Amino acid sequence: MKPEPLDEPGQREVTRLSVQAALMLMQHGAESALVESVARRLGVALGAESVEVAIMANAVTVTTLCAGHGVTTVRRNEDRGINMHVVTEVQRTMLDLEAGRLDRAGVAARLDGIPHVRHPRWVVALGIGLSCACFAALSRGDVQTCGVVFVASTLAMVVRQLFAPLHFNPLVTFFVAAFVATSVAGLALLWEIGSTPKVAMASSVLLLVPGFPLINGVSDMVKGYINTGISRLVFALMLAAATCGGILLAMTVWHTWGWS
Amino acid sequence: MSLLLALLQDMALAAVPAVGFALVFNVPARMLGYCAMGGAIGHGLRFLLIDKSVGMPIEWATLIAAAAVSLIGVQLAKRLRAHPKVFTVAAMIPMVPGVPFFTALLAIVEINRTGVTEALLQTAIHQGLRALFIVGALAVGLAIPGLLFYRRRPVV
Repeated sequence: MKPEPLDEPGQREVTRLSVQAALMLMQHGAESALVESVARRLGVALGAESVEVAIMANAVTVTTLCAGHGVTTVRRNEDRGINMHVVTEVQRTMLDLEAGRLDRAGVAARLDGIPHVRHPRWVVALGIGLSCACFAALSRGDVQTCGVVFVASTLAMVVRQLFAPLHFNPLVTFFVAAFVATSVAGLALLWEIGSTPKVAMASSVLLLVPGFPLINGVSDMVKGYINTGISRLVFALMLAAATCGGILLAMTVWHTWGWS
Repeated sequence: MSLLLALLQDMALAAVPAVGFALVFNVPARMLGYCAMGGAIGHGLRFLLIDKSVGMPIEWATLIAAAAVSLIGVQLAKRLRAHPKVFTVAAMIPMVPGVPFFTALLAIVEINRTGVTEALLQTAIHQGLRALFIVGALAVGLAIPGLLFYRRRPVV
C-alpha cells in the first residue's frame, strides 16, 4: 500500500512523530543504530520520501523530505534511565504501522499512551540483592559472605530508588549507594562475619557497574556512531569513578582496606 | 561428572543476576525468562571454554559466548517482535568485568595517594586492560549476527 503524498502540515506531523519516537528510544537507553532505523522506518511508513536522522550525545535531529520540501526539527535529549519496556513499545508501534494496523493518528495516540510502568520497587531491590549475592557465590564467597552482600546491595539499591525521584545527578546517587554498600561490607569485616571479606567488598558494589552504557557505547562505536559511543563510555567511566569515590570514603571512614 | 555439576551451578548462579538486572532495565515481565536463559547459556558456555580442559583465554571465550547468546536472541526477537538488545544485554551482565574494572580504578586512586609502585601500576594496567577487552568482546559478540548475517537489513 503506497501512502498518498503528504501536504505540508502532514509532513510536519510526520516529522514530529518520527523525532518523538527517536527521542523516546534515546531517553530510555536504546543504541544509536536502533534509534536511527526506527525513526527512519516510521517516517517512511507514514509517507515521507526519505528521513535523515542525526544523533548527537544530547540531542537528535530529524529531517523529512517530501517532493523536494524538507522539514527539520531538533529535540534535546534528557536521560530518563534505562527502560526496555518503552523501547519495546516504540518498536512495536513502528512494526504495527508498517504492517498497516495503525494510521498517523493511531501512531500519535500509541506513542503518547506508552505507560511508564516499572517493576515493583521491592522486587527490584530484592532481585538486585540476590544478584550480587550470586556474584559473591561465583567468586567463591562463603554463605555468610553471600548474606552480607545480599544486605549491602539491597540497601544500596534502596538508596538508588529513594534518590531517583529527587532528581539528583546520577553521579551523586552512585556515590552514596557505593558508600552504603561498602559500609555494610566493611562493618561485616570489622565484626568478622564471613571468611572472605574481600569478595564481600567487591561483590556488594557490582550493582553499580554501568554495564548497559558500557556495552551500548562499544556497540555504537562498532556500528560507526563514534560520537554517541564516546559519550556513553565517558559517562560510564564517570559513574564508575563516582562509585570508586563512595567506596574510598567508606573505607576511610571505617578503616577497612578490604580491596587490594 | 564434577565438571557437569560445576557447570550447572555456574549456570544457575549466572541466571539470577541476568534476571535481577533485567528488572532494573525494566525488561517486560514475559521476557525475563529469556534473560535468565541467555545469562545461563552465556556464562555457562564461557565457563566451559575457560576450563582447564579447553583453556581458552577469557576474552575469546567471552566473545564466543556473547555471539552464541546473540544468535539465539535474534531468533527469539522475531517471535517476540522486540529488538534482541532488549533482553540480550541483561543476559550479558553476569559476564561484565565489574571487579577488574573497579580494582583498576581503585589502584589508580591508590597511585595518586601513595605514589607509583610497580605492584600498583601493574594492577591498574592489567586489570584495566582485562576489563576493557572483556567489555569489547561482549559488545562485538552481541553485534556478530548484524556483522555477519543481517548486514543491510534490520533483525526485526
